[in-house]
Amino acid sequence: MTLLLFGMVLALLLPILVVCRRTDVWHRLAALASVSTKVAMVMLVVSVVRDDWMVGLVGVIVLSVGNGAVMLLANLLRGVDR
Amino acid sequence: MAGLIVIGLRLLIWLLLSADLETANVAIGLAVALALPLPRRHRQLPVSALGRSLWASLKAIPLAYREALALLIRRPGREVEELQPVEYRPGSPVAALVFLDVFRITITPLTIALGMDGPGRSYRVHRLESHHPLPQEPGR
Amino acid sequence: MTLAPVFNLLSGLLLALGLLFWFAGTWPMLGRASYLTKLHYLGVADTLGSALMLLGLLLRFNREWPLLLLALLSLVVWNTIFGYVLAVCSQARPRS
Repeated sequence: MTLLLFGMVLALLLPILVVCRRTDVWHRLAALASVSTKVAMVMLVVSVVRDDWMVGLVGVIVLSVGNGAVMLLANLLRGVDR
Repeated sequence: MAGLIVIGLRLLIWLLLSADLETANVAIGLAVALALPLPRRHRQLPVSALGRSLWASLKAIPLAYREALALLIRRPGREVEELQPVEYRPGSPVAALVFLDVFRITITPLTIALGMDGPGRSYRVHRLESHHPLPQEPGR
Repeated sequence: MTLAPVFNLLSGLLLALGLLFWFAGTWPMLGRASYLTKLHYLGVADTLGSALMLLGLLLRFNREWPLLLLALLSLVVWNTIFGYVLAVCSQARPRS
């Protein structure tokens, strides 16, 4: 399980690197969405391993609401682009 | 009937989120599910079309894993944009069916839906072509 | 009781496969492929890989199954639709 967590954090570093490097806003948005999903998954894994309901609930809420928020942001950006 | 399905879905989400089956909890969930307004379009939605669409979306999931493996093993060749006809269209497009169609197209990693073309005749689909043609999705 | 080692092995396999999908799907984000191609790969990593991981967790720790099931449901639906929304919004740029 510790190995799995290390691997997940390592995979989490990749989109963060993309966010730091790219200048195009759409690439950045996609990478940020990826970060959001991955962080939520890390939270879920930690909560399940520690048998903790509260952290897991926060993870599920981040998983659904975070994606919805980035969706709204994408729509907003499209409106600004026009 | 379709409204019943929607209310059942809301109740299911509430029960999964709160994870207890006491009477008070179920009553709260049922009250909230009934109190939230139903979209007006759902009333004219035929159940058979909804069921068929739902089944097609479920069948797309194993196909998605097959396509993902194909995508990871060999690099895709080129990208094409094509049109895919809409299956069900008497009158105006129904929101739930469009949602399920978009879901079915986008969950397979080789295709992404890019929106509707013109007055709801077909979807624009962006597709990655692999060098070896994959088996076509059934029901097209 | 005798099935427990089999489940453990299976869930370990699923978790490892999900992690592999994560890496393989996130790696092309660093390259110079087109935007839509990257979205395809992101779908592989975030939706399918995470779903595999959740299935693995579901097999191993079945005390928290309502939570994991809800996570699986919301992950698959929202992430897929999210890929669609990003693709549509980025295509609607006027000229570039």
